[in-house]
Order: sequence, then structure tokens, then C-alpha cells
Amino acid sequence: MSMELTVLGPLAGRSFAIAGKPKLLLLRPTNLPLLRLSLPLSLPNFSSSSRFNSPIVFAAQESNLSVSNENETSEWLMQDFYTLRKDVEIASARVEEIRASANLQQLEQEITNLESKATDTSFWDDRTKAQETLSSLNDLKDRMRLLSEFKTMVEDAETIVKLTEEMDSTDVSLLEEAMGIIKELNKSLDKFELTQLLSGPYDKEGAVVYITAGAGGTDAQDWADMLLRMYMRWGEKQRYKTKVVEMSNGEEAGIKSATLEIEGRYAYGYISGEKGTHRIVRQSPFNSKGLRQTSFSGVEVMPLLPEEAVGIEIPEEDLDISFTRAGGKGGQNVNKVETAVRITHIPTGVAVRCTEERSQLANKTRALIRLKAKLMVIAEEQRATEIKEIRGDAVKAEWGQQIRNYVFHPYKLVKDVRTGHETSDITSVMDGDLDPFIKAYLKHKYTLAMASAVTN
Amino acid sequence: MIRIFPSLRLTSLLSAAKPLCSSSPAKKPPQYTSLTESKSSRPTKSLSITPKTPLYLRTPSHATSLSEVWKWHDWAKDLASSVEESSKNSEDTLDSVILHRELKWLIEDSIVDDPLVILHRSEIADNGEKNVKLRASLEELYDLWRQRIEKRRPFQYVVGCEHWRDLVLCVEEGVLIPRPETELIVDMVEELVTRDEWFKKGIWADLGTGSGAIAIGIAKVLGSRGRVIATDLSPVAIAVAGHNVQRYSLEGMIEVREGSWFEPLKDLEGKLVGLVSNPPYIPSDDIPGLQAEVGRHEPKLALDGGIDGTDSLFHLCHGASRMLQPGGFFVFETNGEKQSKMIVDYMMTSDLKDCFSDLKIVSDFAGINRFVTGFRL
Repeated sequence: MSMELTVLGPLAGRSFAIAGKPKLLLLRPTNLPLLRLSLPLSLPNFSSSSRFNSPIVFAAQESNLSVSNENETSEWLMQDFYTLRKDVEIASARVEEIRASANLQQLEQEITNLESKATDTSFWDDRTKAQETLSSLNDLKDRMRLLSEFKTMVEDAETIVKLTEEMDSTDVSLLEEAMGIIKELNKSLDKFELTQLLSGPYDKEGAVVYITAGAGGTDAQDWADMLLRMYMRWGEKQRYKTKVVEMSNGEEAGIKSATLEIEGRYAYGYISGEKGTHRIVRQSPFNSKGLRQTSFSGVEVMPLLPEEAVGIEIPEEDLDISFTRAGGKGGQNVNKVETAVRITHIPTGVAVRCTEERSQLANKTRALIRLKAKLMVIAEEQRATEIKEIRGDAVKAEWGQQIRNYVFHPYKLVKDVRTGHETSDITSVMDGDLDPFIKAYLKHKYTLAMASAVTN
Repeated sequence: MIRIFPSLRLTSLLSAAKPLCSSSPAKKPPQYTSLTESKSSRPTKSLSITPKTPLYLRTPSHATSLSEVWKWHDWAKDLASSVEESSKNSEDTLDSVILHRELKWLIEDSIVDDPLVILHRSEIADNGEKNVKLRASLEELYDLWRQRIEKRRPFQYVVGCEHWRDLVLCVEEGVLIPRPETELIVDMVEELVTRDEWFKKGIWADLGTGSGAIAIGIAKVLGSRGRVIATDLSPVAIAVAGHNVQRYSLEGMIEVREGSWFEPLKDLEGKLVGLVSNPPYIPSDDIPGLQAEVGRHEPKLALDGGIDGTDSLFHLCHGASRMLQPGGFFVFETNGEKQSKMIVDYMMTSDLKDCFSDLKIVSDFAGINRFVTGFRL
């Protein structure tokens, strides 16, 4: 008996927590313990009469005593078991579909190919290429892992459903476990599908977000600051690393501009749809009469590319590089720590400015990388194969488009102009809950792309 | 009698040290005329100078509560905002936008933790009780920022370093702070040596090297085979330049020699492939009206170029004809406009008229005719 108890210890504790508070299940990092559970349970000759002989089930049973009674159990059974079964069926179909479209064989073949490449003796001769290969190998392996994880999860849930059908009485903790699995699985599937929408060449990269206050003084500058905070919060929620690399403060409050770097996989893919003009309507906190005030701020998003990844060359004569003048006679006469550099790509009019570095050369180098990244993104958007083909006028119109309204007063509403997605929970949005908006936009973009592919 | 001795020695040491610390270069005559004088006092001076450690390299030994740092930051921000708005066309007023940027850099240099805990305080869920590690005491930070604004001490002296090209150079009082314009000299040399490998193999000289900026910049573009001699008259500059060379592990490529202009290069007559210099070029009459950061704090020795600012430049022109090999390249920084033209005219008309080819005036990024370049025939 004492032997059994030591074996049971941790399991019993776990079941108790799950049975008592189903929510906790969502926090569980892996489904490994469940695998241990489901193995003996899926034995064909396993019957309800023998379950009390099994130490594992006994543990679950014991814990149930403290949290549930017969009535609750039957209620659960009546109402929720069929829903659960339905959910499991739907999830199973979804997993099936995703796995079918993922072309597993090809995936495996690609992984094998890359792995054999990586073991080649000359593999590290070209470091950049080696890194690239390893990174895509990791991507594929991640995908593979997720796809098999989905399968395991849905099978675990199916086993519980099947078992419950075969049994005379119901094990509430098991059913709740199954419910938790399905909930978790659906979340992962959502995310997986969303990632499928991110197939652009830079979507996997980190992102650089530039926020500029529009005209309108302190109100607009405060609004720009609010947006900066919103994106920082969003980044933190995604567990991305966020860093404000440059910020120019407003005279009274807020900021004139800021540059935020977000490091992490797919950051650019998710947040790239945020570029455009964001409009706020509210009672001005900077106006004693509290008049209703409309302000604007511009957001630009660029992929955060490592220097060596920005492969394009721009002819020197196409660049207009201007440095902040020290003023007057310059040289030894003046000592001002002004190192800002602005680079304009003359043919398209696309310009970037870099002020955060402490030397002119460093600002120039960084500005050039940013300019190239920007041109690469624009070229991609316009489906241009070369920088030469970029239409400058289109850039201006598109990058300045008003994309979202944030109304704080007289009612509360955040509404995306492009997708029509809206919410009245403006506080959450300002706290970085942007995922519904991002998701809606990505789907919208996908639909548009599909539609244009059909018409073409 | 014996008891008095130590105190006597102490005072005598102190008084001997004083002129060194507050070395007033203004009193010194123009460099190339003061050769013998500077030479005699050289060795003892050099030995006694240890370059200051810039703020960002100091040990973070000052644990300070975040709330106290925030208080300092608020104070510093207010002080920066309170300076009068820069009136147009004036070089001599503080600009609060620039000051705010400098304040951010000061924080970056003095804190080990992420500077965002100070700059983005509203995002921190901390109530300020946490300690952060600073590289200077809060008291010193108050003092440094006050010096910056009230005394107009240059920001680079405040933090003890200047970011120049891809380098971070130690600077301190007594050494000219390298200017962004001067970065172009290295660009020109880089372009030249990429075009013609010959220049990579020979010896270069940077005269009046100051912090060593140009010499280090050139050594880096020359690659492993290059050699640069950096000279300066000022013992402080020699110590600081040597220190910077060491920090970039370029001792094998750069040799720092103390002395006036060509004096320490006697062994290299006619052997240099390249000669660069950012000599003092400001006309003496302009010195009193300089921006406070420059006029009050930077060494006159590195700024004052005599009546029309060309004393050192003319001296360099003559030296270039003597020191460069045929085909050797030179570039000098000037006060711009008129002065560049004067130098070119001088080189074409005086007894130097058959010494150089391809004389060119190159403008800086602000369009000022800043540099004179050419080749030895």
C-alpha cells in the first residue's frame, strides 16, 4: 500500500487540482502526464469492474470524492458529454484536414535533405548559408512537431471519449481533462492556421515600428505616445523582446516620434498590417474646456533585417544623403552632438531618418539598412521584381492610408476601416490586445490575395 | 627637522603637479616654433599622465534606488527643458532637443541595467524601491549634468568619450573632441587605398593626432599591413591617443610619437605614402567668440591657427613636400571657404609650385569647402 501511495502521490495531487479547478488545466505546459494515463486506459479488455484495481484510476477516483457528488456528475454527463464529443469530432476533422494539406511526406523528405546537407563537411564554409539552412531546418522540424502534437492531443481526447462511452460511471476529472485538451488544441490550431497566413518573405522576421505624431501639437504627441505603449504591451504579451531605440519627446507631453524594435519570430508578419494612419477621437486632456478633439499618428512597420540579409544594392547616385548641419562654420568651430542622417531614395521619394546612433557613420549605416528594408517591402507589396519598378506615388497613398479609428468619446469604439472589425473594449486594445484586429486583417489580406489571384 | 620633511615633499609635489592638471595651452606659442622648448620638458610630463576612464567603462559600484534615479532624471530633464530656445543663426545657445538626447546617452553610459527602467518609467510595474547599479554616484551625476548645462562643459568630456565613425574614443580636457566632419578624412583614405593597393603598404602619418581618431580610423582601413605614425605636441594628447590605440589593440600598427609636427618624423623624410592632419585652423580673432563648449573647454592649442588661421597649415604644406614619397597623398582639414583656397593658391604659387599634383578642394556634408587634398609629384 505504501508502495502504491508513493507512486500515486504526484498524480493524485494533479488530478485533484484539475477536478477542482478546470481552468488550471490550461496552464499545464505539456500533455505528457496524460499519455501515461491513457496507455493503460486504452487497453481493449479494460472494463469498469477492473478499474478499481488500477492504482492510477484509483487515484483519480479518490480525488474526486472531495470535489464532486453523484448529482453533479450526472449533470455533467447529460449536458456536456455530448458537446465534448462533438468538439472532439470537429477538432479531429480539423487536425485531419491540416495534416492532409501539410503534405507530411514531402515535409519529412525536406527535413532529411536538409539534415544530410548539415552533416556535410563543407557545410560551415559559407556561414550565412549554413545559418539559413539551419534556420529553415528548425522551421520544418517545428512544423513537424506541431503536426504530430496535434495528432497526439486529439487522440488523447478521443480515447477519453471512447472510454467514457464504454464505462458505467463517469470520471469527471478525465472529461475535464479532455475538455482542456480540446481548448488548448483549438488555440494551437488557430495559431497554426494564422501562421499559414504569414507566408510573405519577411513575415518571420522581427519588426521595426516607427510612430510619428501627426499635426495637432500636444494632443497628437500624446496619442503617438499612447500608440507606442500599445505596441510595447502587445509585444510583451507575445513574449517578444521590445526595445525603444529612439524617441523624441514632445514639448509638453507625449512624443514627436519613436522607433520601436520588436525581436521575435513572426513579429513582422503579425504587425505589418498596422502601418497606416491611426485616428483618435476624445475629449482633450490638454484643453481646459475638454473639447472633443481628433488627432492622428502615423505608424510605419518594416522588417528588422540583419545587415547581411539586406541584399539589394542601390546606386550611389540614387541616394540623397543629408546630415544634420552643425550650423555656421562647422568643423572645429562647433561642437554639437548632432549626428542625425536622412537618406532619400531619389527615384521613389522613399526616405528614412536615423538619429539614435551617436556617430554619423553609424547613423548612416543604420539608415541605409532601413531604407533598403523599406524598399524591399514596398517592392514586395507592389509585386515589383526590382527596386526600379517601384511607383513612388503609390507608396505615399498607401502608407498614409487611415486604417483604424479609436473613439474614446462620446462613446467607446475601436474600428478597423479595412476589415470592419470593431470592439467597444478600448481599454484592452490600448493595453495591447490587438490579436483580433491582426487576425481579422491577415484574413482580409489573404482573401484579397486569393480574389486577385482568381481574377488574374 | 625630519618630521617636517614629508609635508614639505608633499607640498612640493602638489605644486609641481598643478600646472600639469590645468595645463593652459593658450600660453604656449605656436607649435612649430616651440620645438626645443617642448622637447626639453617632454619625458617627465608624459610619464605622469594617466588617461581618465570614460564613464561607460567604469565599475558599476553604485547601487542606487530607482526612485532616487528617477528623481535625478526628472531634475535633469527639467534643467534641459529650461534652457532658452535656441535663437536663429546662433551657434552659442543650448538646444533642449539635443540636451534631451544627450541625457539619454548619459543614462545609457552610467547604468548597467536596461536604460528603459529610467526612460520608460510608466511601463515599469516597480514602485522604485528596486536598486539599479550605476557607474557613478548619484551625487556625481547631478554634478555632471550641472557642469554640462551651467558650465557648458562639452557632453563628450562629461561622459569621457566620443562616438566617432565606428569607434568609441576616450576624450578628456586637453584633447580636441573629434568632429563628425573629420570622419570624411578616413572615408577619403579608404576610397584611395581601395583603388590603389600601393597606399596600403607604406607608412602614413597623422599630425596633431589629438585623441588618435584619424590615425585609428586609417589603421583600420589600411588592414594588417599598414603602419601609421601619430604625433602630437601635447602630452595629454599623447597619453590619450596611446590609450585609445591600445584599446583597439592597434599598437602593432600605430606608433604614437610626442613632438611638434614633423619633428618626431626626421627618420622618415621622403618615405611617407600618406599624410593627414586636422591642424588648428581657427583665426585667433575668432577664438573669443566661439561656442562656449569649444572656447571655454577645448584646448586652444588644437584650435588657434594664428592671425588668419593658416600658420600650421602652411607649415604642413612645406612638410608634405619634404616628407612624402613621389605619388604620396595628403589631406588637410581647414576652416573652409577662403582658407582652402588660400592653401591651394599657396601650394601652386610659392616655392612649392612644382611639388604637387591634383590639388583639390573637397567639401564636407554641409557643403563647406573643408578639405584640401593632393599628391606629391
